[in-house]
Amino acid sequence: MSTLLTVEGLSVRFSGLTALDDVSFTLEDGNVRAVIGPNGAGKSTLFNAISGYVTPTAGTVHLRGQELTRLTPHEIAEQGIRRTFQNGGLFPALTVLENVLTGLHAQTHGSFLDILLGRSKALKSEADNIHRARELLKLMSMDHMADTRAGDLSGGQQRIVEIVRTVASDPPVLLLDEPAVGLSPVARAQMMEIIHRLAGEKGVGILLIEHAVELVMAAADRILVMAAGARIAEGTPEEIREDRAVLEAYLGHS
Amino acid sequence: MSQIMPSARQRKTRTLLFWAVPAVLLLLPLTTNPYTQFIANGMLVSVLVTLGFTLTIGNLGQLAFANTAFFGIGAYSSAILAAKLGVPWLLTIPLAGAFGALGGFLASAAALRGIRTYYLAIITLAFGELMRWAYLHAKPLTGGTDGMPMPRETLLGISLTDDTLKFYIFLAVTVLLVKATLNLMRSHFGRAVMAVRENEIATASLAIPTARVILVTFMWSGFVVGCAGALFARHVGHVFPESFGMLHLIASFAMVLVGGLGSVLGAVLGAVLLTALPEYLRAFPGMEELFFGLIVAGVLVAMPMGLASLLRRVSPIFVERFYREAP
Repeated sequence: MSTLLTVEGLSVRFSGLTALDDVSFTLEDGNVRAVIGPNGAGKSTLFNAISGYVTPTAGTVHLRGQELTRLTPHEIAEQGIRRTFQNGGLFPALTVLENVLTGLHAQTHGSFLDILLGRSKALKSEADNIHRARELLKLMSMDHMADTRAGDLSGGQQRIVEIVRTVASDPPVLLLDEPAVGLSPVARAQMMEIIHRLAGEKGVGILLIEHAVELVMAAADRILVMAAGARIAEGTPEEIREDRAVLEAYLGHS
Repeated sequence: MSQIMPSARQRKTRTLLFWAVPAVLLLLPLTTNPYTQFIANGMLVSVLVTLGFTLTIGNLGQLAFANTAFFGIGAYSSAILAAKLGVPWLLTIPLAGAFGALGGFLASAAALRGIRTYYLAIITLAFGELMRWAYLHAKPLTGGTDGMPMPRETLLGISLTDDTLKFYIFLAVTVLLVKATLNLMRSHFGRAVMAVRENEIATASLAIPTARVILVTFMWSGFVVGCAGALFARHVGHVFPESFGMLHLIASFAMVLVGGLGSVLGAVLGAVLLTALPEYLRAFPGMEELFFGLIVAGVLVAMPMGLASLLRRVSPIFVERFYREAP
């Protein structure tokens, strides 16, 4: 097991408000680390700071020893940290296949001129990507939906397509922002299965924000608990279940 | 609902159809009178103007109205290069395209600074008016209100005032640019353009450099419309500032909408229909504008997705998607 992601002393301050306060942790390959905490705990800010959507005021983010702090979102994605979005990041007017293909954008070859002239170099890499996208959809039993507009899918299907799109380029690190929100129990179980497979079979390091406790307890190898922007506890699901600070953050002083 | 995509055979038919249209059009000059020929030439110019416009406003989804500015920049570049520097007109076409692309670069600068929606609309409208002001006041270069005549020139011994010769050149340029734009939209770049329209934040998370996508789309749009400007300069033979005002912008916007926002096929259909329509309406003097307005409104009420959507319902051959299956 090797360390993929190292977050050290990451802080984000918005004019006086500390949204993220000195958070540190590591993520190893094949591991699922859940980030939990009450609303406003800074979970989404943590994701945004790692993926480049918010510039951290202090601290560093390294992927396999390479510093990524302060790169732009698309640069960070290109380095291998990919994410999903809480309120869904699919492109509704594009088909399922086209959505998955956008995840392979960096895997295409051919210059602008090659594309304009329809040269074989550009066409070949496009054909490879279409082939790969169809394979990935088949793996998730979504291949029959390839030509459906993403906006016409059910909520659960949209979440799955978004994950397929996000992992299409085989990123080492995946940040999932509430992947199970609004899902039926069946779809939730399927999501669990997907997370297990990505970590177990492909060795993806997964950082997971989730409110569904049973999903967190079942999927996570380790849990990071946050409140008011800071880390208040860290440990295995069993340790977190017993932690007094966590109980207080969620339930108040007893 | 799953879309019905064209089958491999239908895709072949589509390719055939694409080349059959210009092939048949090669025969057009044999069957028309000079007046119809002139109108047909104007249609080809409009096709390119509409194509460039639909890219930024439809595919990229930016409320940018600098299209007529690109058109004027192209026309004046061509006229100035030909009249003042003696550059052969044929050569001014790509150069006018390059200047149009420069206009696209300037227009995208506003979008890249995070100016969007209504604010981008007003800034790009101002850009267009500023250019018109420049044509009026840079008199030594542009001739001011008198405009600029295109110099006499011959090609293969035929005068460039000949509408048949112009038609063949216009057709070649139009087919080339429509094909290149189709290639572009059916590539990963075309998908990225659509992705930016749909959700810019999510697009960046897929390692797609959104700023570059916006910049390049504006520049390609400027290139296409700039080339159209060079054709237009030769088409009318004399470039005037009034050709590049609000009226032109609104007319091309109507072409984009009537054809179908963000559709290459729609750009062609909208441009052809709305260029031909006024000619037919000449039969109703005094009522032309009224009928024109009614027809545009009628098409949009009946088909909010434009004429292209009608054809898509007829056959999947006309379905435009943003990837290209191997033949």
